[in-house]
Amino acid sequence: MQAWIPGICSGVFDLQNKKQVGKDKEFMFKVTFQLEGGESIEAFAAEGENLLEVARKTNVAIDAPCSGNAACGKCRVKLIKGEIDSKKTSHISDEEYEQGWRLACVSKVDADVEIMVPDIASAYKSRMKVADLDSAKEIEIFEKTKADIEAAGIEFKNDLEVVRVTMEVPSLDDTMPDNERLTWAVEAACGMEHVKIPFAVLKTMAETLRKYNFDVQCVIRKGGDKAEVLDICGPEEQVKLCGLAIDIGTTSVAALLIDMKKGKILAKASTGNGQIRFGADVINRIIESLKPDGKEKLQDAIVSETINPLIKQMCRSAKISPQKIYRMCVAGNTTMNHLLVGADADPVRMEPYIPTFYETTSIHAHDLGINIFPHARVIMAPNIGSYVGGDITAGTLASCIWNRPEMSLFIDLGTNGELVFGNEEFMMSCACSAGPAFEGGDISCGMRATDGAIEACTIDKDTMIPTLSVIGDEGQKAVGLCGSGIIDMISELFRCGIIDPKGKFIREGDRVRHDKYGMGSYVIVFKEDAASVKDVEINEVDIDNFMRAKGAIFSAIRVMLNSLDFTVDMIDDVYVAGGIGSGINMQNAVNIGMFPDISRDRFHYIGNSSLSGAYALLLSNEAEAKVHDVAHNMTYLELSNEPTYMDEFVASCFLPHTDAGLFPSLTFK
Amino acid sequence: MPFTAKSGKFNASINTLTIGTGDKAITLGGENVLPFYTFDAPIENAPKVGIEITDGGMENEPECIQKCYEGCTTVVDMAKAAAAMEGVEFLSLRLEGGDPNGLNKSTEELVQIVKDVAAAVDLPLVVCGCKNVEKDAELLSKAAEALDGRNALLLAAKEENYKTVGAAAGLAYKQVVGAESSVDINLAKQLNVLLSQLGVNGQSIAMNIGTASAGYGFEYVISTMDRIKAAALSQNDATLQMPIITPVASEVWGVKEAVASEADMPEWGPAEERGIDMEIETAAADLVSGSNAVILRHPASVVTISKLIKELV
Repeated sequence: MQAWIPGICSGVFDLQNKKQVGKDKEFMFKVTFQLEGGESIEAFAAEGENLLEVARKTNVAIDAPCSGNAACGKCRVKLIKGEIDSKKTSHISDEEYEQGWRLACVSKVDADVEIMVPDIASAYKSRMKVADLDSAKEIEIFEKTKADIEAAGIEFKNDLEVVRVTMEVPSLDDTMPDNERLTWAVEAACGMEHVKIPFAVLKTMAETLRKYNFDVQCVIRKGGDKAEVLDICGPEEQVKLCGLAIDIGTTSVAALLIDMKKGKILAKASTGNGQIRFGADVINRIIESLKPDGKEKLQDAIVSETINPLIKQMCRSAKISPQKIYRMCVAGNTTMNHLLVGADADPVRMEPYIPTFYETTSIHAHDLGINIFPHARVIMAPNIGSYVGGDITAGTLASCIWNRPEMSLFIDLGTNGELVFGNEEFMMSCACSAGPAFEGGDISCGMRATDGAIEACTIDKDTMIPTLSVIGDEGQKAVGLCGSGIIDMISELFRCGIIDPKGKFIREGDRVRHDKYGMGSYVIVFKEDAASVKDVEINEVDIDNFMRAKGAIFSAIRVMLNSLDFTVDMIDDVYVAGGIGSGINMQNAVNIGMFPDISRDRFHYIGNSSLSGAYALLLSNEAEAKVHDVAHNMTYLELSNEPTYMDEFVASCFLPHTDAGLFPSLTFK
Repeated sequence: MPFTAKSGKFNASINTLTIGTGDKAITLGGENVLPFYTFDAPIENAPKVGIEITDGGMENEPECIQKCYEGCTTVVDMAKAAAAMEGVEFLSLRLEGGDPNGLNKSTEELVQIVKDVAAAVDLPLVVCGCKNVEKDAELLSKAAEALDGRNALLLAAKEENYKTVGAAAGLAYKQVVGAESSVDINLAKQLNVLLSQLGVNGQSIAMNIGTASAGYGFEYVISTMDRIKAAALSQNDATLQMPIITPVASEVWGVKEAVASEADMPEWGPAEERGIDMEIETAAADLVSGSNAVILRHPASVVTISKLIKELV
């Protein structure tokens, strides 16, 4: 179906008289999305068009974690007026169906219709996940990051401290004001020459000091010979010093609540980025931020709708007051950083792509409206280019490639693929647009790595029957493929000779189908065995989309290395980060030509490196200094200026690659 | 020190490919030097020139082409006339009448034309499709069957229909398979790999890597052909050693410089001269960039390009 462009149609078709379009029998219908507690948006759809698709094209955010497979039941909308052709699923009870609730993903437009769309922010909140920290694997990644960085000579010590201070109680003979009294006492207690009391503390200190009879504990932040009093507590209180590390991704946001004294993780949580309703990618968000009050709306979406609820939930689970969070660290891409602080992000989008800041050290929680201790400093991992941001500098820090003599390649697989190559002497970075395929986006049966996702598979070459590994409890039925599952699937289809190197189906069988346009697909799970109302299948368009994503990554690797006169076989180690999942099979990733053909034991999956980097920055002032060092030492390569990039890209959109010589270890055809 | 010229010949060479049978058969490729670098090593098989006729009817042709076929009433008449023209080494039959958005002639009707033409001329034959991939898949497969034993070139298999065309032309009837891509070295190579994996012998593939009319982004054509030849010869890349055949006519006779009438564009000079000039310029540029054969439409262009080749090789 052709993408429909709003604005063009309204001029061409008579909306009053059934909107006849070009060829007979095809009609356009008006779909009105009434956003809960907000505006209404009109769109036009062809007969039979999927409602979720129409919403996506119109930039109306409907929460659909299973990407429209009728498996999760999250894409609920309510009929206000008109009718819609919608299958009944187990996710909607008879009563709800009666009330007008439908799943957008199984609804087809067949008349003018008015739909109420629930607020996306509330939908995201319902999806917020506080991770189970009993799982050793979760914690292990952070422990390992810490150990690696410590091994590199970085001390895990931060500037927060609690000191006990006892002062003379004022009297008519001792008339020194409270702030001077405290300043003197703190100076004496910790041997600092300059002690500062911020306004927030000054305002309330009289009451606190008198309550505890001038015998208190102070939370102070030390820096050189200066100290700042952040908080005043009672003498017996078990003072909690907490910190917050956040990875702000374009799609999802993950956070850690940390005990700053012990370095212990108290809670971990993740949620969708509330800005998603303003566009799926950074460019759309920037455009949205240019509208009246746009900057404020986007900042509000990330701060009040995303970060603050996350903090609240984590603090509740750890039984800690958010006011005890005295230090916060943010790692996000350049655009996310700009939108978080409410800065104008438009120059990031426009040539010559100059952001407002690469690094900033002067932001406090109250500047952004983040509900933690107001004067807590917000550390931002530095950006180094418009498309290589703090998530990458933090990730690079966590990967420790800056501390090794070996030539390492760090790859962050997200909506944008970012690469860093180098060693202790130099580093180069670049970004390529891989699209959402690694997170299961743009793939008809794609989904994120949650329950029901096929994370690994093999196929029997003779029978073409797949063996699947599905995320979830024992007996969980498959819903779709997550990133690592897609890699396995394509690699196996290719190995079994079911698809050709262009990703087109060349074998026939009961699992291979062709639609009326000749497009081939492979049935992974028949609907009887799937947790979905339809067969789980992967088609040629999906494979093509994924090939472009993997092609973007591999060609970026090649171009960056070529610019340094390196070849791919000179890479010693590859560090893979991102939401693709720990299930990623490196052999299969090499088989499809996504990663260079080096020894498989030199590949390391390091999880969400942006978050583990933020964790390190939070806990260690030396790490904070180091990340700026790392950022300064990194050269940024703008791929769009590289004339060979397009050529390399086309060469990479083949299995495994047009130049098979680049993959000497692969023997199957 | 005396100057000693170093030979630029390579250890690898372009595949030798024969089209047609008997005395009139032509052989493309075989060289181990860059195009026309006869000073480095002799070029065994000079580039070849063919003429194109179509089944689409004379009324769609430019006036100057119509003139050349005066008196011809059928495609077979045209084929005979074309075959007799000076410098013509092979005949290319474009079945544009098969286009579902055009005349939409049936495959049977078109295959009959192919058979009739084949019976009327003994020149090597190139059969071009109608540019609709689905129709071509069927049409070229049937044409391959009809031309069994003629060692004809079927132009062409594309990424979308290589399985059908490759299987019929390359595997079943042992014709020469044309592999058409769109001015990109990687796409050209990918299609050759796909055809080889299908089982088609690389020695019986000719590439049509695409062309533009001179002045219409032709630098891409030059760079692509240049790099294909460089990879084939200097890197001994067997997947790019197929000879290149370039249908110049179908590009050139569509641009305004070639077809605008003199009445519309008096300042451009006589229409026929312009059309011939465009065709000669484009063909010459394709040849020096690496084409092993060109397909032209105007007899005057054929004469000139043949002469050019003779002078240079």
